[in-house]
Amino acid sequence: MKQRRSYSKKRVKRKSKRSLQVFGAIVLVMALCAPSALAQKSPKDKFEFPPLNPIKMPKIETLELENGLKVFLVEDHDFPTIDIRAVVRIGSVYEPAEKTGLAAMTGTVLRSGGTASKTGDDIDRELESFAATIETYIGQSSGGFVSSMLKEDVDRVLAILTDILVNPAFHEDKIELAKIQQRSGISRRNDEVGGITRREFWKLMYGTTSPYARHPEYATIDAVTRDDIVRFYKRGFFPNNTIMTVWGDFAMDEMVKKLKNTLGTWPKGTSDIPSPPTVKYEYKYRVNLVNKPDVNQSNISLGHIGGLMNNPDYPALSVMNNILSWERMFKKIRTDEGLAYSVWGTYGASYRHPGVFSCAAQTKSESTVYAIELMLEEVRRMTKEEVSDDELARAKDRYLNTYVFNFDSKSKIVNRLMTYVFNDYPMDFMETIKTGVEKVTKADVLRVAKKYLRPDKVQILVVGNKEAFDKPLSSLGEVNVIDITIPPAKSKQ
Amino acid sequence: MRKRFVLMNRACVVCALVLVLNVSSTAQTFDTIKSQVKVHVLENGMKFIVLERHEAPVVSFHVYADVGSANESYGITGISHLLEHMAFKGTKLVGTTDYKEEIKVLEELDVLYDKIKTEQAKVSPDEETLKEMGKEFEALRTKAKEFVVNGEFDDMFMREGDRSLNASTSADATQYVNSLPSNKLEFWMAMTADRFQNPVFREFYKERDVVIEERRLSVETRPIGRLVEDFLSTAFKAHPYKHSVVGHMSDLESITRKDVEVYFHKYYSPSNLTVSIVGDVHSTEVFEMAEMYFGNIPSEPKPEPLRTKEPEQWGERRVQVVTNSQPILIMGYHRPDVRHADSFALDALANIMGQGRSSRLHQSLVKDKKVCIQVGVFSGFPGEKYPNLVAFVAVPSQGHTSEECRELIDEEIAKIKEESVTAEELTKYQRSSVKAMLSQMKSNGNMAKLLTYADVVVGDWQRLFDQVEEIQAVSVEDVKRVANTYLVKNHRTIGEIVPEGK
Repeated sequence: MKQRRSYSKKRVKRKSKRSLQVFGAIVLVMALCAPSALAQKSPKDKFEFPPLNPIKMPKIETLELENGLKVFLVEDHDFPTIDIRAVVRIGSVYEPAEKTGLAAMTGTVLRSGGTASKTGDDIDRELESFAATIETYIGQSSGGFVSSMLKEDVDRVLAILTDILVNPAFHEDKIELAKIQQRSGISRRNDEVGGITRREFWKLMYGTTSPYARHPEYATIDAVTRDDIVRFYKRGFFPNNTIMTVWGDFAMDEMVKKLKNTLGTWPKGTSDIPSPPTVKYEYKYRVNLVNKPDVNQSNISLGHIGGLMNNPDYPALSVMNNILSWERMFKKIRTDEGLAYSVWGTYGASYRHPGVFSCAAQTKSESTVYAIELMLEEVRRMTKEEVSDDELARAKDRYLNTYVFNFDSKSKIVNRLMTYVFNDYPMDFMETIKTGVEKVTKADVLRVAKKYLRPDKVQILVVGNKEAFDKPLSSLGEVNVIDITIPPAKSKQ
Repeated sequence: MRKRFVLMNRACVVCALVLVLNVSSTAQTFDTIKSQVKVHVLENGMKFIVLERHEAPVVSFHVYADVGSANESYGITGISHLLEHMAFKGTKLVGTTDYKEEIKVLEELDVLYDKIKTEQAKVSPDEETLKEMGKEFEALRTKAKEFVVNGEFDDMFMREGDRSLNASTSADATQYVNSLPSNKLEFWMAMTADRFQNPVFREFYKERDVVIEERRLSVETRPIGRLVEDFLSTAFKAHPYKHSVVGHMSDLESITRKDVEVYFHKYYSPSNLTVSIVGDVHSTEVFEMAEMYFGNIPSEPKPEPLRTKEPEQWGERRVQVVTNSQPILIMGYHRPDVRHADSFALDALANIMGQGRSSRLHQSLVKDKKVCIQVGVFSGFPGEKYPNLVAFVAVPSQGHTSEECRELIDEEIAKIKEESVTAEELTKYQRSSVKAMLSQMKSNGNMAKLLTYADVVVGDWQRLFDQVEEIQAVSVEDVKRVANTYLVKNHRTIGEIVPEGK
């Protein structure tokens, strides 16, 4: 290898031969001044890392307008843009089952359906003419809006945003368009194996009719009227039911004034939104199949109900997840066995309703049952024996050494704060988890694995071609065959 | 590369931006960032681009290897991507308990694998011999595994706090990303220098199986995956953009470890690697370390440029994928590479026709006629380094067909060919492009990616910032001209998913 222009030790030695006294002295001085800059290290050498520069916490302004709109603001002058994000306490879990799809459609048409003075198409053109965006949505457990703009357009964007929130028109034509989109989505929902697996596994976890798993059908979309949409919007979209963040290139006082003059005019409402629906789960071992003769790879999900993030065991569960997914599932099923590209095992937790414990892999039809057995074996092993010292140390290092990335942008910091406040979590929740993770022991990991993982009471779902499996799926137990035929629309019968 | 605006000075950049955005804040932002970028090229040709950002104590790394599936030939399709996977398997030092012993077993495996392939290729292979060799192969593989420290390369990066350890392969490039707390710069240097100087492609056959599963996942079991693969192989008849990045199944089942080694030595010479580093580091320190860690890699000539060029298309081509799925339409017209003078006008055309809620196709097909639920136009498919395609994609609404969508797209194309676009539409393109650039530049990782892309594919990292002039320079006449030049029926390919039984 060539040593040209290298700072390696060899180079210094060679030089010093020429004039030992002079160069020897210089080398000594250099070594004293900057000892680490002189020697090329190999990856396994010991690294003396310099201290990490401190995290700069941004100044977050908290504001509550007279109409009850809570706002967190952060100045960020790196780029000449401004962003807004808001969460609204509403969600599809609050829509009537016979009108499933109402929430999503309301979220869409709030934006697309125009306002008292402008059509949705006008708004599209206007916003795009100055490269701004405003989007509204309603998801499962929350709704909201997001907006992004160049800073010089903030006045007109705030005016349009306020108009949308205060005077939405819900034009019939755009309701029809939203219904077409929904119906087309239904007609396409069995096209992709991944989509089928997610949807059916969710139903196995929460129950077919659960607000956390149900999905629209032609009949539930047809049942939605404009009145339903207007009522559902009114139920959630008002300022004292909303928390908002604003970050970007603005001066605080000016922005506060602007918000008061625009979103400050949004009329207050009265909330009747109850706590999120509870989940009734019965632990039960069952093998489920969606037979799909036209694929050569099985999509496998197995698991049972999970928990909440405010569970005091959550730090230990996070460490356990890290070990189960990476040290066990990935290293065994992907690296050692070459059975799958994507594989994981995670005890999922959500803010306000139980998450799902799920293990998943996609493997060729001919290794379906083998892969399931291996996955279950890894889960069982978690519940039976302690993890190794190395596994624990690596898992904790991974968590603690990436922790700084939670603070690598002002928008991340302020939006996390909004999420915690929205879900009634303490503002220092993440610090609490970190402290918890630092203390987790091998015994803790085993304890939570035993307590929360029930490998013998899992629902196993396979979407694949049963004729090509390595062994009949029934070798794992009685098979419940799931029919995914899409119920036809009434008008078309 | 375009010469038109090369002589423009900094002041003009500001003028141009003032016209587009009516403010100079964006121009100042680009100018400021541009002035902070520092570049250092080692004597062996390896290039380091550094942007200091001291907002947070983190740093992102992007290694751009100028090799992608377009560099592959028959028999080894998918090898760029497979190599990307193998670049996580460690080195002579990382991922092994005893490299010297391990390599002997790996080489025995290679020899045996070749024997098995030779036997299989015979007119009447001897089943007994194959069975014996199969057993021996498994035994050797078990023996090789004893030397492996499973996942050590990943573990070392992740333990130090790598938040984005990953890589991706496209038709044009193989890109490796890391992000670390910024005090671990030297650790990245040591790991990466070792990674690209002393790689060991261990656990090769199992990783090949993983990639085969990835092919099943992304192409074979996905209707859209099948469509894209067949569409590209129809649209291109000679240029390697015709085969998918993941490669053909039979090639994946046959590529050897030696093939990967040969490919690595051809395409991973220092002059073929460009690194960008964005975050809380000091460029002088980065360059000193780069000299120390990468400066002693011997230089090698850049690989020979691709010979094959896509010839002119002689008539419209069509391809159907018949499968258990609702219909999807893709339509592609040949266009020149990204460095061509028409590139920005083509971007404008794609943007005005098919990007955003107020784009012409969305207005007509989705909002007015309601024949599809999604429609979009993408310029630069499947890569940008070589002549490629302007692609139109439509997802028909329930009860509507690809053909209805195609007819309406044709109508909109005809209008632009006849009347061009409006000045307002052009302004929309210009503003949205600049805004999109600003948004992407916010994160260290994306910024690093933009810098290497501009430098390798467009030809100079400075063009990332200077392209604003060219975006501004596109005229309505340009858009009309490129529509007439490139959106030609004989130069297009139509691909569609046809629902089974219809």
